[in-house]
Amino acid sequence: MKIGVYFCNCGSNIAEKISSAAVAEAASFFPDSPYVTIVDFICSEEGKLQFEDSLKAEQPDRVVVAACSPRDHEATFRSCLTNAGMNPYLMQVVNIREQIAWVTEHPGVATEKAIAAIRGAVCRVRLQQPLEKKQLEVCPDALVIGAGPAGMKAALSLAEAGRSVVLVERTPFIGGLPVRFEDLFPAMECAPCMLEPLMGDLLHGEHPGKIELMTMAELVEVTGFYGNFIAKIRRKPRHVSLHECIGCGECVEACPATTMNEFNSSASGRKAIDFAFTGVLPNAPFLMEEVCVRAQGVECRACKDACPMGEDVVDLDEESTVVERTIGSIILATGAGLYDASRVAGLGMGVLPDVYDAMQFERMLSSTGPTGGEIVTAAGAVPSSVAIIHCVGSLDEDHNPYCSGICCRYAFKFNHLVTAKLPGASITHYHRELVVPGKEAHMLLRHAAGNSSTTLKRYAAISDLAVTRDDSGTLHVCSRGEVTPVDMVVLCPAVIPAEGTDRLSALLDVSCDSFGFFRELHGRTDAAQSTLKGIYLAGACQEPMDIRSAMLEGMATAGHTLAGLQPGRTIEIEPIAAEVDENGCAGCRLCLSVCPYHAISFNSEQNISHVNAVLCHGCGTCVTACPAGAITGHGFTNEQIMAEIEGVLQ
Amino acid sequence: MMNGMPLSGVRNVFKIGVTMPEKPKLAVYWGASCGGCEIAVVNLHEKLLDVDAAMDFMFCPCLLDTKKKDIEALPDRAIAVTLFNGALRTGENVEMARLLRRKSRLLVAFGSCAKGGCIPALANFTTKDDLLNTVYLDNPSVDNPARIIPSGTTSFPEGEIHLTPLLERVKHLAQEVEVDYYIPGCPPESHQIWNVVEAVLSGDLPPKGSTIGCGTLTVCDDCDRVKEEKRITAFRRNYEFYPDRTACLLEQGLLCMGIATRNGCGAPCTKANMPCTGCYGVPEGIQDQGAKMVAALGSVMDIGDTTGLSEGEIAGRVDDFLATIPDYAGLFYKYTLASSTLGGRVMR
Repeated sequence: MKIGVYFCNCGSNIAEKISSAAVAEAASFFPDSPYVTIVDFICSEEGKLQFEDSLKAEQPDRVVVAACSPRDHEATFRSCLTNAGMNPYLMQVVNIREQIAWVTEHPGVATEKAIAAIRGAVCRVRLQQPLEKKQLEVCPDALVIGAGPAGMKAALSLAEAGRSVVLVERTPFIGGLPVRFEDLFPAMECAPCMLEPLMGDLLHGEHPGKIELMTMAELVEVTGFYGNFIAKIRRKPRHVSLHECIGCGECVEACPATTMNEFNSSASGRKAIDFAFTGVLPNAPFLMEEVCVRAQGVECRACKDACPMGEDVVDLDEESTVVERTIGSIILATGAGLYDASRVAGLGMGVLPDVYDAMQFERMLSSTGPTGGEIVTAAGAVPSSVAIIHCVGSLDEDHNPYCSGICCRYAFKFNHLVTAKLPGASITHYHRELVVPGKEAHMLLRHAAGNSSTTLKRYAAISDLAVTRDDSGTLHVCSRGEVTPVDMVVLCPAVIPAEGTDRLSALLDVSCDSFGFFRELHGRTDAAQSTLKGIYLAGACQEPMDIRSAMLEGMATAGHTLAGLQPGRTIEIEPIAAEVDENGCAGCRLCLSVCPYHAISFNSEQNISHVNAVLCHGCGTCVTACPAGAITGHGFTNEQIMAEIEGVLQ
Repeated sequence: MMNGMPLSGVRNVFKIGVTMPEKPKLAVYWGASCGGCEIAVVNLHEKLLDVDAAMDFMFCPCLLDTKKKDIEALPDRAIAVTLFNGALRTGENVEMARLLRRKSRLLVAFGSCAKGGCIPALANFTTKDDLLNTVYLDNPSVDNPARIIPSGTTSFPEGEIHLTPLLERVKHLAQEVEVDYYIPGCPPESHQIWNVVEAVLSGDLPPKGSTIGCGTLTVCDDCDRVKEEKRITAFRRNYEFYPDRTACLLEQGLLCMGIATRNGCGAPCTKANMPCTGCYGVPEGIQDQGAKMVAALGSVMDIGDTTGLSEGEIAGRVDDFLATIPDYAGLFYKYTLASSTLGGRVMR
């Protein structure tokens, strides 16, 4: 077997420490006595040409490149082999730069190490076999879960590119959390107005046929893998046809049953059939079966009779259905929720009237909310003083150790809105740290700090604060002995993963971090990808995030989908993957739980395991685990690894 | 038995035995062993008569009266097949291994001692001196005031007695002589011995160096218990509970070696509700049964959700888990220590 060793000097990076002459001399004693060619910069254009020309002239059976980390240039050298007409997997890269030259002081020792490592590679490369990439046909369509800012942006971007999208939303409406806010930081834009064009596009824009919106729906099962997922989605009955309802509200008037409206933080009532809130999109009510008098056995069809659009709009007998869709990728945009502020003791949440969390206060500020945007106390009075407490459960080892990132900015937005609605009202901010990143939010901080009726007070620990109420009904914020009477307290709780994130994580096998947010493939370089191939993360489901970032992440996930799966194009499957020898598998099923990518399935009929090469990342965990030795890691067989170890230790 | 008449009706199988004037010679010898392999041969029951009909069963110190000098007197390669059981513990074991190698056309490492060292080789976890001290001096039940450790030559009025020396380390057969085939098992199952006899007589043998009289998969293939995904939260021992009779024993927390053990035994242990101890040794293509077992168990041991735990806490969980394994070496290398990568305790 003819083996070529290509030794890169990397300028002086390698040459300074490792003697190429000594390596060449030693190589004559390696198995098959490989020839050694020395190149100055093998990754340079000139170097690559020299490498390719040499490969064409020498026509070696196997190649060893002793150069930098394979992370840097393995792909480069593989292309060179391909260009020279060789199978690119007949090469082994030895990292003599980072692992030897840069970390070894003495040149003699470095040369010895390099000789041992290259000898190992020569012994190993002799056993390497040509490998071929496989092609697989894929479905280019996507499933987006969550119709908040991130999910809507992802769905629209994909639709613009001509992709079909299934957009699944748990609530009866789109727009996520911010559609329920009045104004948004940092520029005090009207939230529904800002989101309206996006929501309009989604519902009635140029590509509505491309987006299949399912409200009141939840993912219940996913099988398959990247490029070929099959999703089952349960659609709960809305009892109102989205296509035919014109949103006139006649049915709401007629409905006899009432309950509290959770979308107004239960601060106002609603009918059994009603809109989630005023101005909601899609502009149609939904019927709460458990509230409807029919649930108590009463025969009622008041809503159906009241509908001016005919018999078919309200369907009282509609049942939950499960639909199945084939998609190639999944975008998780399930958003965030707020930490239960009553878990932070002493602040009066849920105990004292006029202590609100941020979501309740957002709804109070909203013109579509329970008070129509008026700031009033539970007793109906206009407050003359408001305390806003930051960092409730954030930056707190007893609750959530992270900074929620958005709270200071919306707290100063509250300041702005309270000042505008209640001129002269005094506002006290209790904060631990002040975090107002970005180029715009400082204006809000400056506005609050420059406001003569605003006081900023820093506290050290949330336990230093206590909210109490005296007999007259006045609230008191006590901070280390200093007592401030106020009429209303607003708490800014930590941003936490949306309810149900854990269920979705279990269902999809997408891992979560210790805080319960979806874990990114890499926090910096691959933040929009989950740990599973073809499942992407957009928005606050992966960490507390503002709308700007969520929208950008929506775009990013659309980008991943568009780049990865293209109509008519197949995906390439990397051949460095695990494969089960069907004749060697005894069916013990030990490998099934070890695969971090869920690439292994079990064929009960044949009693053997199977590795899905699309999902396999070639990590080798199952190869090690298989007690029968029936799983081969192509490119990393046991024989190759043993040969390399023996070569190094000779 | 040596002169016993073959049973009628089975002759067809052994045409060679019947038509040739001299039957091929069969020897069964023991090195450092317990005698279980001989019992496995005797467990052929009436099939032993067929063996005898086909072959000249001429040497087996446990069963027959042939002497070493009789073997020495044979021409080289006179014995068709020697089934050599037992590990090599003493100089005498090695001497007999060499003698039988010379006199045999096929030398078969028979049983797990000859194949991988088995129980005798667990002595490789200690030194020869420590071993002798334990046996003759330090053992609480030993009364040896003169502190005599028997060895070498001892003179008596009647003459001299020569004790064979102990080797520094227990070896398996192939570490001393060339071995043609290996038959695993502690002891080999009798039906597999019969299969080998048939294969030898028919000449239908795989390439030299193969392991025969066994399957090509693992014991899991022989075991008909229901297997599921494996996540093991702690190991338990047999005395602690009555295992479910249908579920995989490993999944129930018993340290069943079946996953990393060659099949062919028919899984009698798991059928008896006992975990496999691994006596059929490494599966095809595996180098080291113990290391494989460690790798496999390491992959499925479940130390619970570690999110948010410190490195020290995670290490503590792993330690607690491992504390449920009573004896790594004796468990994972019970049958294969001499042939493992480790080989035994590293002596410096």
